[in-house]
Order: sequence, then structure tokens, then C-alpha cells
Amino acid sequence: MSTASEMNSQVKIQVTDLHKSFGSNNVLQGIDLEIREGEVLCVIGPSGSGKSTLLRCLNKLEDITSGTVVVDGFDVTDPKVDINEVRRHVGMVFQHFNLFPHMSVAENIMLAPVELKKMNRTEARAKALELLERVGLKEKADARPASLSGGQKQRVAIARALAMSPGIMLFDEATSALDPEMVGEVLQVIKELADSGMTMVLVTHEMGFAREVADRVVFMADGVVCEQGKPEDLFGNPQQARTQDFLSKVL
Amino acid sequence: MKNNHTPTRTGRLTRWIAGAAIGLMALVVGAPASMAQGAESVEGQTYVIGTDTTFAPFEFRQNGELTGIDMDILHAIAEDEGFKVEVRSLGFSAALAALSANQVDGVIAGMSITDERKQIYDFSEPYFESGVQMAVAKDDEDIKGYEDLKGKTVVAKTGSEGETYAKSIAKQYDFTVKSLDQSATMYESVKAGSAVAVFDDYPVLAYGIAQGNGLKTVTDKVPGGSYGFAVNKGQNTALLAAFNDGLAELKANGEYQQILDKYLADPTVNTPGNFFDLAVKSFPALMTGLGNTLGVTAISFAIAMALGLLFGFFKISGNIVLRGIATTFVNIFRGTPLLLWAFMFYFGLPQLTGWDISVWTAGILTLSLNAGAYVAEIVRGGIQSVDPGQLEAARSLGLGYGKSMQKVVIPQAFKMMTPSLINQLIISLKDSSLLLAIGFAELLYQGQQIYAANFRVTETLLIVGVIYFIAIMALTKLANYADKRFNK
Repeated sequence: MSTASEMNSQVKIQVTDLHKSFGSNNVLQGIDLEIREGEVLCVIGPSGSGKSTLLRCLNKLEDITSGTVVVDGFDVTDPKVDINEVRRHVGMVFQHFNLFPHMSVAENIMLAPVELKKMNRTEARAKALELLERVGLKEKADARPASLSGGQKQRVAIARALAMSPGIMLFDEATSALDPEMVGEVLQVIKELADSGMTMVLVTHEMGFAREVADRVVFMADGVVCEQGKPEDLFGNPQQARTQDFLSKVL
Repeated sequence: MKNNHTPTRTGRLTRWIAGAAIGLMALVVGAPASMAQGAESVEGQTYVIGTDTTFAPFEFRQNGELTGIDMDILHAIAEDEGFKVEVRSLGFSAALAALSANQVDGVIAGMSITDERKQIYDFSEPYFESGVQMAVAKDDEDIKGYEDLKGKTVVAKTGSEGETYAKSIAKQYDFTVKSLDQSATMYESVKAGSAVAVFDDYPVLAYGIAQGNGLKTVTDKVPGGSYGFAVNKGQNTALLAAFNDGLAELKANGEYQQILDKYLADPTVNTPGNFFDLAVKSFPALMTGLGNTLGVTAISFAIAMALGLLFGFFKISGNIVLRGIATTFVNIFRGTPLLLWAFMFYFGLPQLTGWDISVWTAGILTLSLNAGAYVAEIVRGGIQSVDPGQLEAARSLGLGYGKSMQKVVIPQAFKMMTPSLINQLIISLKDSSLLLAIGFAELLYQGQQIYAANFRVTETLLIVGVIYFIAIMALTKLANYADKRFNK
């Protein structure tokens, strides 16, 4: 993705002075961030630093206290903006998969395209099978989520997030809830997605993976961006004491 | 003399209704129970008359037909005077409340004429001279008079003249008086041995003994008060006059004595059949009752589901007004007894609004609002028990809140709610038996009707209990089958 961060590519997400509080707890204390088309951004940092909250603000799963988040040209903090429309362009993958247990694997993927009248059921099923093939689970189309392993569930969740053909994908600690032997298969799918040129923001604890796929790594601590840069710089030669301290513990 | 079944409650209820009526007289007067109000002649008119359900031999059901001394006298007078009657068998308390609410034009229910009642009602000439008598178990050879009661316990009907009389001599003969609500249950307690004797209205006792209630009288009757037909004070004067006129006519032509003899002098002696005979004989009436029980439960529960879904969603809404409405609804109907609402809807609402509320309407309102409050809580709990990640995942796909709830959250919530909903359905079915208090002819009410006439309390209740049990078991199996079928 060496071309992704070139200055001439389009800005997909623009975060300006983002603040988010839960009651008196100021989780985000002024975040400025710009993500360009095709860029893969990894967000790392200690627990409680606000990584996941930042990610959830990008598609407004959290109400934003102040500041602006502009996604694909839409200001999600503007009440006049149809947030559902914005979310159709932003796929999200959760730590705990959040597959719909009362639906089959294919139905999980078909739900949004069918309900949002983007496709009829036949087209949606064909699309679902295509996506399942991409994550290597075509034979599980009619299985129930409960019968899948954690790694398989997360691959289905990725397929589901891709069903509306989003331009941006958000990953919220997508491998944290997995048994170690299943992490690889999920990272492989994410990597393939990154290689396809998808704009992605990943909150992750997998430092090796971040180093491998990220165009840029952001280190957060205490609700602010502490340091950011190319992975080889941030991991190889961190400038801030907080970053050095954190990396010395996790690497 | 019978005052009523539950005089304390009735007294209060009547006063409450009378009090409310004063403020609402304008409304009430505009809504008479029949079209006959204020008419000069009773000829050709139809009057609605309230009566008791279970006060043999004055009114009771035989083979489904309401019969008894009161009924025979009423019908004979009506025929004589050329008016028609529509009898509503409501129960004593309910009949009086209905009279105060102008849902009926008059009440004939073995009611003693008392000074207190004369304040509210106009009474006819007495049509029956009653009295108190003591009875003991048939095989009891020890109690032959009041002096044998020393140190023992007797039963009498709450608020009746039997109770007053028993208490007046209790000190003299050194016995204890325990008060119960119904003749049939008093007789049961004497037979069961928890009391040695019963003081009751002599016609009721005489009839019960003739029906084989297992008692015998051992003392002479003590003369007491008189029974009268009642209308609201100052209203239906033509009806009252016609009653007095017809009563005099019946006494003159001997028909009156024939009626009394039919029930008191020579009652058809009841050969007590075996349990199976009782079950077969009471089966049609009990099945009608079961039908009404199931009907009122089904309709009420359907409404309760709609109410529960609505208010359940209000409860989890972000809107403070909707949440407030739902919380108020749930707190009111969960925080007050079902029976109170049955009385309120059947007696109170007609007075407040002037509407004619049928016993079905009142029953359905009562059950559905009560169950609706519980269903609202079940719905709220069910929705909140679904992992919030489910809603987030659906919303993150661009589905709106409504669509997300409909397609993702509700199906999962409903699966979790089902056992609680089945539970609530069964509770509602059992609660419907409380509607007997407003004269709704459900299963237990039918059972009361039967044992009030034949005094076989235990056996009848056993049959009723078995029917409830079978119905509820069948319903549970059906619901669980549906649960497995649709929530897989």
C-alpha cells in the first residue's frame, strides 16, 4: 500500500478535535485524524486509551460530545445527515462477532442488502455465497452461527460487513476474543482485504500484524493521539516516552 | 335473616357508590337501566331485576335455569301485572351495587328490610317472614339445645341476623361464634367438625336439609325480620306499586302459599347420587363455565399482548414522556388488586360515564389491563436481555432502529420471553376466576352455583379443580409445543 498515503489520494475520513465523554469520564480529549482512500490505519495503545471509542465514533455508534467527524463527505455530527446512509458505506467488525444467532450464515449476510432494498433475495444470496467463498466458508452458508468456531464466526462477520460493498471497513479488536490458533485465519482474511485496496481502520493488539499490513500506525494514550507514523518508524524508532514504554511491554 | 354474603364489603362498596352517585346524579339519571323509568303504567314494560346467584331456596340454578321462591314470586307478579322482567343473576353485593349504578331497576335477593337499607332504597311490602334456626350434623347426638354448646364453636353467616342472634346468646351459653360467608361453606364446616352447629336463616336451612346437606335442626326457629323487593329511593315507583299489588293478589288467591310450600313444606327430596352422577349432571354447566373462562382469557390475553408490546417499547424508549406513561401504566395495574378493577369497571365506570358496561366488557378490561402490565415488563426484560451488540451490529449495517428491532432484536427477545408469556397466560386464566365476584359466569362461578343448590361443596370443588387442572395442563403443553415449533 505504498501509494495509499500519497497526497493526491482522496480524504475518506476527517476527524477534527473530537471529544467524547461518558459522564465525567473524558475518554477522547481532542483527536485530529485524517484517513485517505485505500489507506490502512492501525490504532494501538494501552487499554482505556480510547481506541475503541474513537472507532465507534467514526460510524456514530457513540454519540459525539464535540468536534466533527466527516466520512465520505458527510458530517456524521450533523443531525440532518442520514446516519443510516453513511453506515451503509462503512462496514464494521466487532470483537465479539455479533452474528445474528436466529439466522443462518447466509441470512446474516443477506439481511442488509435485502432489507435496504438493494438486492432481491436471489441476488443477495448469490452475493452472500460470493463473499463466503472469499472468506473460505461457502460450505457453511446454511449453517447456524452457533455451530461455527470463533475464527469462522469472525470471517462470517467480515463477509456480512462487506455485503453492502462499503468503501471503508472498521475493525474493533477483531481477533481479541479468539483462541490463538484461530487468529491466523482471520488475520489472513483482513490482510487480503487490505491488499485489495480497501480503506481500513483497525484497532488491534496484534503488533506484528499492524507492522505488516498498516500504512500508518497511531499510538493512543489517555484519549489523545500520542504518536503516529509509518510502522517501521513507530515500531523501530518510537519518539515518545509513552510509546517506548508501551512497546517495550507488548513486543 | 340474610343480610348478604359479604356484608362488610358490600356496606363499604354501597356507601362508596352512593357517595360517588351524589356527585354524578345528573349523568346517572340520564342513563336508566330500562326504558320503563318514570312510566305511569308498568303494562308491557320490561324491567331489569338483579338477584343473588346462590341463595337457595330463594334463588339458585336447577338444570341451568334460575329458580327459587324469589324467582317464582317475581315471575308470578310480573304475569299478573302484565310487565316483563329480565333477571340478572349477579350475586348479592353485585346486585345492590348494580342497583345503585342504575344498571338494574330493582333487586329481589332474599334481602332483609333494615332501617339502614331504607335510607337508600324503597322496599315493597314484606313478601317473606324469616327467622333464625340452629342445625347440627345429622349424626350428632350430643347437641340437643343451646345449653349443650358450652365451650364449643358455632358458625354463622357474616353480618346476618343468624350471627346477631348467635352472638346475643353466646355469653349466656358460653360458646364461640365464628363467621363465614356462604351457607354451603358453613354447612361443610359443621360436617367437618370445625364447628358443632350453624345458625342460619330457617328457610335456607330447611331447604338445605331437604337437599341432603347432612344436617338436622334441633331447636325451634326464632322469629326474625322480613324480606322485601327493593328499588332505588324515589325511582321506579310504578314498579314498586305493581309489585305490592301483585303480591297482595298472590296472597289472596293462594298462589303465594303454593310457592312457599313448593320449596319449604315439601321440597323434592334429593337422593344424593354418587360422585360420578354429580360429575355427569354438573358437566354441561361446568363446560359452559370453562368456555367462558377460556373465552375471556383468550380475548384478554390478546389485548394484553398488544398493550404489553406497546408499553414494553415505551419503557425502553429514549423519550422520557413515553417512559413515564409506560411506568405509570405498569405501576397502576401491577400495584393494585385485580378484584378492585373488576368492581371499578363494572360498578364504578357506568356511574362515571353513563355507559352500560357488560360483565364481559368489565371482565376483559380487568384481565387485559392487569396482564398487559405484566406483559409490558416481560417485553421490556426480554428486549433488554438481548446482547446490545446485536442492535449495534444491525445498526452498523445501516438498518434503522425500527428495522433492527424488528429483524434482529425482537425475534431473539421473543424467544426469551416465551416461557414468561406462557406463565402469564396461565396466571391470567386462573385470575379469571376472580371475575365471579361481578357475576361473570366462568368455571368457578358455575361450581358455586351448583354447590349452592346441592350443598356438595367438596365434591363440586374437586370437579372444578380437575377441570382447571386439565385445561391448564393442555394449554401448557400446547404453548410449549408452539414454543418449540416456532422458536427453534
